[in-house]
Order: sequence, then C-alpha cells, then structure tokens
Amino acid sequence: MIYWISVYRASLKAAIAQMLQYRFAILIWAVWGFVGPLISLAVWSAATASRGGGITSGSGATFGRADFTAYYLVFMIFSHLTMSWDAFEFAFRVRDGNLSPRLLKPLHPIHSDVAFNIAFKLCTSAMLLPIWILLFVWLKPAMPASGWSLLPAIPALLLAGVLRYVWQYALAVIAFWTTRVEAINQLFFAVDAFFSGRIAPIALLPGWMGIAAYYSPFRAMAAFPVELALGRLPAEQVLPGFALQIVWLAAGLVLLRALWSAGIKQYSAVGA
Amino acid sequence: MHTIQVLKAFYRSSIQTDIEYRVDFFTRILASLVGLLTTVGALSIAFNYTGNLAGWTFPQTLVLLSIYYLMDGLIEMFIAPNMRAVMEQVRQGTLDFVLLKPISAQFMASFRTINIWRIVNVMVGLGLSLYTIGRLSLTVGMSQALAFGLTLLCGVAIVYSFWLCLVTLTFWFVKIDNIEQIVWQAFEAGRYPVEIYPVWLRGALTYVIPVAFIITVPARALAGRLPGTYLLIAPVVALASLLLSSAFWRFGLRHYTGASA
Repeated sequence: MIYWISVYRASLKAAIAQMLQYRFAILIWAVWGFVGPLISLAVWSAATASRGGGITSGSGATFGRADFTAYYLVFMIFSHLTMSWDAFEFAFRVRDGNLSPRLLKPLHPIHSDVAFNIAFKLCTSAMLLPIWILLFVWLKPAMPASGWSLLPAIPALLLAGVLRYVWQYALAVIAFWTTRVEAINQLFFAVDAFFSGRIAPIALLPGWMGIAAYYSPFRAMAAFPVELALGRLPAEQVLPGFALQIVWLAAGLVLLRALWSAGIKQYSAVGA
Repeated sequence: MHTIQVLKAFYRSSIQTDIEYRVDFFTRILASLVGLLTTVGALSIAFNYTGNLAGWTFPQTLVLLSIYYLMDGLIEMFIAPNMRAVMEQVRQGTLDFVLLKPISAQFMASFRTINIWRIVNVMVGLGLSLYTIGRLSLTVGMSQALAFGLTLLCGVAIVYSFWLCLVTLTFWFVKIDNIEQIVWQAFEAGRYPVEIYPVWLRGALTYVIPVAFIITVPARALAGRLPGTYLLIAPVVALASLLLSSAFWRFGLRHYTGASA
C-alpha cells in the first residue's frame, strides 16, 4: 500500500509539473468539453422555447429551460471530471515506438497514465472553476432545493470516472493489433453521444433507444451521476444504477486484462 | 494564364502524394458518416418534441447541415493544409524560400497544396443537400439558386480571408495551433442555425468568427428564407474581408524577420 502511495505521489508530481508547462494549450483542449454540452443546451432551449416553455417525455418527465440548463451544466462538469483520451495517446505511442521503453519499466504503464489523467483534471479543474461558477450564476439553472442529492452523486461520479477510464484503456489496447484505433474510437464516441445522455437526457430518447441507453455502460459513465446529483432519479432507480456501474466496471476490467495479456504477447515494436 | 498553370502543377503534385495514402480515404468516409449520423440523430430526437428550432424546420436544418459539411470539406481540402504549412514554415524558418520565389507570396501560401481525401466531406455535403432538396420538394427557383451561389461564394471568400488573418498572426506569435483549435470549436457550433444561440454568442458567430456568413446565410438562401438585404451585405462583407486580410498579410510580411539562426 505504502509502495503504491509513493509510486502515485511521484508520478503525480511529475505529471503536474508537465501540465503547468503547457497550461495554455491544455486549457484550450479542456474547452472542447464545453462545446458539446453547450450546443445540446442551445438546441433544447430552442426546442423548449418553440413549445412554449416545457417538454414532456413519453414517461411523463418534464424539462423546462432551467432544467435543461442544470442538466447540461452538471453534465459538462462531470464529463470533464470523467474524461479520458488514452485510446488516442496509446495508439500514437505504439506507432512512434514510444511504448517500448515504457513496457520495460518495472511498473505497468497504466499507472503513469492514470496519474497523468488525474493531474490533468486537477490542473484544468482549478483553471475552469471560475468559468463554471460564472456559468451557474449567469444561466440560472434549476438546481435541487437541498444539496443532499450531491452526496450519493460523489461515489457515482468516481465510479463513472473509473468505468470510462477502464473502457477507454481496453479500447486503446486494440492498438496492439491495428496501430490505428481512430475508427473504433469514433464509433465508441458516436454511440456514447446518444447513450450517455449528451445529445438528450435519457428520458427524452425515443422508445428502444431509451431502453438500450438505460442499461448501457455509457449511461453509467455520464447521465447516471448527473441525474443523481440533480435529484431527478426516482428512488427505486438509484441502487440499480450503482449495480449497473459495478457490473460494467467488472466487465471492463475483465476485458482489459484479457486484451492486454493477449496483445502484449503478439506486440512487436514499430520503429527502428 | 501563367497562374493557372502553376496552380495545376501544385495540385497535381500534391494529389500524387495523397494517392499513396489510400486508407486515409476510407477513414475519412467513416468519420464523415459517423459525424453526420450523430448530428442527424440529435436533430431528429429534438424534432420529436417540436416542429421548429428558432424558426427552422427539420428539413431546413438538414440543408444547413449540408452546407456545414460542404464548407468544412472545402476548408480542410484547400485552405487549412496551406495555412498549416505556412505556420510550420514560419516556425522552421523555411518561409524564406517561399518568399524568394518569383510569384505572389500570398498566392503561394494559399494554394500550394490540396488535401484531396477531404473531398469526402464536400461530397457528403453535396449529397445531403441534393437529397434534402428532393425530399423537401423544395422547388429551387432560378433566383434562389443565384442567391445561393452568390452567398456561397461570399462565404468561401470570407472563410479564406479569416484563415489568412489567422495565419498572418504567426508572424508575431509563431505558435498559433491553439487559436486554430478555438476557431474549430466555434465552427462546430455552425452545425446548427446560429439563431438557436443566445444573442451575444450569435453576435460573436457573425462578426468575430463569421460562422453565420459562412454557413447560415448560404443555407438560408438555399432554403429560400434569406432576407433580401443579405444579398447586398454578404458581398460587401466578402469584398471588405478579402481586401483587409490581404493588406494584413502584407503588413505581417513586412514584420517577418525569419525565425531560424
């Protein structure tokens, strides 16, 4: 345990130092996270406006403008805190040969990547915090009356972050075979856009899509903690939501292990 | 005449290079179609609940989306690769060789290469616009077609000028790929009509990063809902931005001192 703490302490320190050097570039990349949710918010705000103030789903959930605002602002922050880009990064390393020295280290490369991911989120969140606060003050979202719903959202958010990370890494490992994972990753993000609740809150998705999204790992990575934080989730859906997160996390870990051990066997370095 | 021959030689050589990387073509097709399906899906979910978004019907937003793809394709095919090359040359100091050539530096910097596989987005844009016009059974009359052609041309001129200004900034800042990222972030907003955005953002998307003139105005012309005054405003803005950006480029060149050594 002490060993792992010192490993992560050292990796985090190195990663944060690296982050601060590229702070401007990193902030610009982080702003990409604003674009998707805010465009969705604009679309749904326009839709509510043309409906005269509120949209009611087939299941009876209603969304007003302020509800959409709350949903997408929390969504934006949560997806920043759970984001992962390892599929791109890993494939790049396989191609330019940078993976090989990392494999020789007496530590699985995933650990330094996790540390880097955490450092990125620490640094960028500190920079983005004033913007987030400003958006909340300015756009006047309909937040729940009591802050208690935020409490169960914290473990859900942590699970969501780990879940997305594990699945992205499993996807990244496919680079052992193809060296290019852009196409697969793009499909992943397209499905993610619908099933994670980014394009529309899950309650507003049409019939079959809503059901598929509900049970999918993508909702567990994003919409579930958001709905939990906003207190929009019926009480009887809270525990099943956590259960789905844990089931998908276990599945992701099994997949990652299997892909990694099969991939590493047949990996032969690219480059000179 | 001489210019056209030079242009032909430029494009021929860069197409020959691109042909070597054929897999890129299929990656592009997949990327385009996935992006298209995502946006169309998003729109059709929203239109399940409403008949219009800020006055735009579903087929009209599809027309707009087709113009987005057309413009995105044209930028990535003709404009962006050249401008990125200039940025790289400024960084490495090799722009000096470009400037020494007996040809207009702006011409050379703007038209040296072409990224042929990006034609996929142009084709997706054209296909989608033909399809939606067919399904809309929009009768595109002569006047509408002319208005569309005119505003599209203006859009291309404006987007070109915009990128020229952007690239001129490298003479002072050297590294501006971050600014390019911001521009793409704004351009992403152009997938949807600018009318759905709050007033301040609409203003920014019209006058700061002119997404409105590049995408929304031609789309409105094609859908037949463009106020007539725009047929005057768009050419004026286009002409002004061409002149101003060219002047800015020449001003920047005078400040350029070479980066290496």
